[in-house]
Amino acid sequence: MKIKAKIEKNQLIISLNPKIYPLEAVYGASYVFIDRAYLFLDGDPKKEIKIYIKGKKKMTPKELKDLAGEFNNELLNYTLRENVAKNTKKIREYIVERALFSALRSEEDEDEESIENDPLGIAVPWEEKYGKKK
Amino acid sequence: MTVSFNRYFYNSKAIKEAIKAFKGLAKFEVKRENRYFRIKLCNINPRVKERIKDEFCNYVLFMNKNAD
Repeated sequence: MKIKAKIEKNQLIISLNPKIYPLEAVYGASYVFIDRAYLFLDGDPKKEIKIYIKGKKKMTPKELKDLAGEFNNELLNYTLRENVAKNTKKIREYIVERALFSALRSEEDEDEESIENDPLGIAVPWEEKYGKKK
Repeated sequence: MTVSFNRYFYNSKAIKEAIKAFKGLAKFEVKRENRYFRIKLCNINPRVKERIKDEFCNYVLFMNKNAD
């Protein structure tokens, strides 16, 4: 069982397999429709997630069927996002870590090269270093 | 009127926030029973009687996102 959709009493009931569609994807897809429909989640989180969708305006069976299609598309979209986020987590963390590390290093370098830290004595005026011209 | 929120999908913080937002429209009683939070709505403002249950459910779902 992947996705099942049925219409009952002017309400759409979508049943999903939670092993295929993660809960985060279900939430994500649900939030997309929250301005257009009333949504309610129930079911067994290990076997079957049920999403009850009711239009805020009265909807015909065809409109509800279209809504089911849209919801399934959105669900797929969020499932893909979740998978990409999961698969790229390590590389994203590595990039941020490197960026922060190099930012820190360049700040340290700047400090070392500032005029106050002048190990070669370049910033010291000639007169001060060698005395006044005679 | 009763609404049963599955504890796996809805968290108590979201329900509390929703009750706070809707407290001017009805009186809420919360019970925790096995897998569900059972919310009993009484003294509902007659102007919102038909929609309050659905709007409340949507609000809890929305607050669930922020409560994560």
